[in-house]
Amino acid sequence: MSPNPWIWIAAFLTLGIFSFLFKDNPVYRFSEHLFVGVANGYYIALYWHNTLRPNLVEPLAQGQFIYFVPLLLGLMYFAKFIPRISWLVRVPIGFMIGWGAGISIPANFQARILRQIEGTVVTPASFANPWQGIWAAVIFIGVVATVIYFYFSREHKGILKPVSRLGMIFIMIGFGASFGYTVMARVSLLIGRIQFLLGPWLGLIK
Amino acid sequence: MKWFEKLTRIDRRVIYVLLTAFVILPLFIPFKIPENVMPQTRRLFDFIESIPVRDKAVIISFDYSPSTQPECHPMAIALLRHCFKKRIPVIGISYEPQGPGLAVDALTLVSREMNIDAASRSDSVIYGEDYVYLGWKSGRVAAMLEMGESIARVYPVDYFQNPIDSLLLMRKVRNYKEIAIAIIVAAATYPDEWVMYPQARYGIKVAAGLTAVMAPEYYPFLQTGQFSGMLSGMKGAAEYEKLILEHGYTNKPGRAETGMNSQSIIHLLIIIFIVIGNVGYFFARRNKGLQR
Amino acid sequence: MKRTLPLAVCLIMGVLMIVQFFVPHPVSLQFNSTILNWVIVLSAFALVLAIGNLIVYHGNRIRRRQPGWIYSIVTLAGMTLMAGIGLVWGVDPDSLFQKIFLHVLTPLGATMFALLAYYMASAAYRSFRARSLEATLLLLAAFVVMIGFMPFGQYLGRWFPSFAEWIMLVPNMASKRGIQFGVAFGAIATALKIILGIERSWLGGKD
Repeated sequence: MSPNPWIWIAAFLTLGIFSFLFKDNPVYRFSEHLFVGVANGYYIALYWHNTLRPNLVEPLAQGQFIYFVPLLLGLMYFAKFIPRISWLVRVPIGFMIGWGAGISIPANFQARILRQIEGTVVTPASFANPWQGIWAAVIFIGVVATVIYFYFSREHKGILKPVSRLGMIFIMIGFGASFGYTVMARVSLLIGRIQFLLGPWLGLIK
Repeated sequence: MKWFEKLTRIDRRVIYVLLTAFVILPLFIPFKIPENVMPQTRRLFDFIESIPVRDKAVIISFDYSPSTQPECHPMAIALLRHCFKKRIPVIGISYEPQGPGLAVDALTLVSREMNIDAASRSDSVIYGEDYVYLGWKSGRVAAMLEMGESIARVYPVDYFQNPIDSLLLMRKVRNYKEIAIAIIVAAATYPDEWVMYPQARYGIKVAAGLTAVMAPEYYPFLQTGQFSGMLSGMKGAAEYEKLILEHGYTNKPGRAETGMNSQSIIHLLIIIFIVIGNVGYFFARRNKGLQR
Repeated sequence: MKRTLPLAVCLIMGVLMIVQFFVPHPVSLQFNSTILNWVIVLSAFALVLAIGNLIVYHGNRIRRRQPGWIYSIVTLAGMTLMAGIGLVWGVDPDSLFQKIFLHVLTPLGATMFALLAYYMASAAYRSFRARSLEATLLLLAAFVVMIGFMPFGQYLGRWFPSFAEWIMLVPNMASKRGIQFGVAFGAIATALKIILGIERSWLGGKD
């Protein structure tokens, strides 16, 4: 067993959260609320040391007065808590949303549409290796079928019906694969916690 | 209650106990099944192998939190062991707010491990020369983009408040031109943003270490070459640990590899649960049909 | 004014950032760099809203002695203590801040998500039924991936891991790419609607 009090604290909190599997109880609720509090305290210290001080306070102190603009916009966030001027909070939100929307349009086109179309198109070069060429054709058909499945502006009649059904089959296989990976992910998290309890805490495994 | 009805009504506590037991058992009865290494893991390994010593640096973005630590932390540690042993400079950053604590843990662990074994200063891993940790920054897309022009403008100080110009490594690495690859160890959609923004604008190579939940979504990026490699979940971490062990970059087996035995057993157990549930369901449906 | 000004700011920023992407002139690059540095700072202020809401919510629970108000004290005390320790004593590898992160925050966060393994197993057993062709395909794909990617999968047949990998690289990738196209076009359409002021839900409120 570990003589380190910090390990014991970690073990107690781990078991406190696991106790929820039996039923809700005061130890679990204490642990849950402690998590929320400590996480937010962590964020406060992080935001100050990593962004506000080096990227705002120190440039202002060095005379870079242009930083008064983001400071002013940032202070407008506080207006949310003053009912008379709470509408001012929309200004920095509008700034951020407009900026984000603006940069996302060319980025989405370039990385998620054009490059992905490039990867989907089948050319004679794809058949340099015959099997690779066949799978490239299957991928092409699968992508088209999936897109058609999600096309709801028209009723799926005629040619659209079998193609969208094919799309559904591809989607189901994709979701099955995702579920398989999800099982791996969730189980990994449990294994990690068990390894901690049996290893560093109880010293039963290396 | 008929037998097939019982099959569909197993108490959840039985499932919980069996799950726990079969996670614990393989940890006490270790057995070795050789890991098969997936092509995308090998692709990342080979890419790092191809980076000349002390030439360009590697960015490792520690973008995971304690909730995904068992999958991502072993990946980060394995990558650090590989880069440090190959004398590839590492620049650590984070955009996930809870990333820095784990990043500091990984960097401290691996650098101390290497320095204990070091015979001389040239074998040692020195902070500021061989690696730096710049910390977390808000407005991550803005930070990613601005780093393409000047890393120092985004990070005037590192995580430990050292001025960036005081760090020897950061005098040589000014922006993405001096970066060989950015490896994003993430539990959220940060790799998307690396591909959409810095890669689209500056052409930086990107690879990802992802949780298993996210991995299936990123195969399109792998196929187009937008990712230069990918580690998927605890399995990906175990594969990378195996590769660096085989190539002599470490003599320590990793945490992920020891967890794969439990992983294998639990996968079988869950398949058995699902099959049992379906057998009960089909017989119940048939019985209902017969009764009509 | 209360709605016009924010909408105008949104429109101007959106259009400028789209135009900036295509203009490599030094003035455009300098403008972009300045805006990026402002965004880095401004993003940090968003924490104010989150912390403010947390304090108001838990403060009200304590003031009104609502059920479970004791736990709200735990939350606020934990937040104050952690923030104070980090702000005063710093964040070095050997600091108290780092120790609390590793031995309090990490086990709590990790264990919360470890519970999902149990819920997932229970839910899979209870509701994963091969009711139709599509559901059966989903199940079979899941089984192949779950077995194929585990080390023992190769003992069922040397082709088994390759088959699992094929499922990921061909049908899975095709469907994910199709979904990605939909998401990308949707994101572009939403971004345009926001910039042009057609989508105004972010304004909130009545005035």
